Amino acid sequence: MQIRNTCLVYRFFTFVIICSFFISFSQSFADSGSQGASYPSLILNPDKQFDYAQELFSAKDYLTAINEYKRFIYFFPKDKRVELAMFQIGQSYFLGRQFDEAVKSFKKLTDRDFETEYSIKSYFKISEIYIALKAFDLALINLNNLIMITKDENIRDEAYYRIGWIYIETASWDNARHYFEKISPGNRNKFRLERLADELDKETLIPQKDPKLAGFLSIIPGGGYLYCERYQDALIAFLLNGGLILAAYESFDKGHGALGGLITFVGFGFYAGNIYGAVTSAHKFNRKETGQFIYNLKKNARINLSADLENKGVCLSFRFTF
Amino acid sequence: MKKILSVIIFFIVLAALYGSVLAGQHVKLDDNPEVLRKAQEVQEGAPFFPIKLYQDYISSADGNRCPMHPTCSQYCIEAFKKHGTLLGWIMCSDRLMRCGRDENKLSDPIWIDGKKRTYDPVSNNDFWRQ
Repeated sequence: MQIRNTCLVYRFFTFVIICSFFISFSQSFADSGSQGASYPSLILNPDKQFDYAQELFSAKDYLTAINEYKRFIYFFPKDKRVELAMFQIGQSYFLGRQFDEAVKSFKKLTDRDFETEYSIKSYFKISEIYIALKAFDLALINLNNLIMITKDENIRDEAYYRIGWIYIETASWDNARHYFEKISPGNRNKFRLERLADELDKETLIPQKDPKLAGFLSIIPGGGYLYCERYQDALIAFLLNGGLILAAYESFDKGHGALGGLITFVGFGFYAGNIYGAVTSAHKFNRKETGQFIYNLKKNARINLSADLENKGVCLSFRFTF
Repeated sequence: MKKILSVIIFFIVLAALYGSVLAGQHVKLDDNPEVLRKAQEVQEGAPFFPIKLYQDYISSADGNRCPMHPTCSQYCIEAFKKHGTLLGWIMCSDRLMRCGRDENKLSDPIWIDGKKRTYDPVSNNDFWRQ
């Protein structure tokens, strides 16, 4: 009986030793396993997040950059670069040619706070977008709003300068002069206004054709085209209309009323087309000459004001052709 | 002389009336988009039947030689659609007179299927009316 008890005790101790061995082994194994499966944790900090967004922006991956700027704003709303991130969102939309979204993004900045660096720049960017879209009225309203709210004379002068150029784009020379004159004397040299005024005065020398005169001269087929310096068109219009008028006359004269009516119908189209074409040609001529004048004016006397960022913070760039 | 005048007046009145109808009216036939589309095709296609006939059977055999873009026939369709029959017809006639001459030097070039053409859409000829 004693021997049997001793055997049981022996077995019990053996079992305990084996169990403790396995438990310690399994713990060490589990520890080593957990160490092997662990990954380096990602700590999001403002600098890394913003740099990543900027990196994407520089790589022209604008849509992804927008998401990263939004993430930055969401996680770090108190960061001092939040306004810059908002501005960059607008820029990204603009460069991604999503103009409506760009305007909305810039308007968030202008609505948020007026007269901060980025809200002012947003006003200018909004006007640039409207100009790119040929929505000159909206660009003017936007800049006039800026003039109303700002107390900074330099900003107001820049807005006047930009408004002046919008009027030049629409060939409203007097309005352009009016706004350039509003620029304060201290900034006149900065915007090279003297030279600009000299160049602008040359608008009276732009060659122009009078559309009414072109239409009137087309009474003789081809006369209007001739006036608009379209010599080949003038010859064709003269020969074609002359031929049709003659054919219609001959048809009626010889009693072929139906044929005469048909030729008259066709001839009416070409005769009226000759007048319409001459008027259009005069307008096209004027448009081309005015466009050329504006192009030269921009080339010779425009200071390019840019509110763009080039991954180095905000800068105001000036470019002037001497 | 009376005969000539009456024929001219008849055509002018016809063109003006037809033009206003074509330019301004939209008839609601059904809410089914497929039916609407087909009806619209018929409605829009009928006045341009002669031009479509030219495009499908004459120009395709003769070759697309118009140096302008859009081609004169397409330009006419667009002018009719935009301005009605009267002004459409006038603009169409004007374009036929200008095709391939001075306009080539004055308007911007455009490359279509590897060929250089002159870009002269309807909007380039009615901008001053807007």
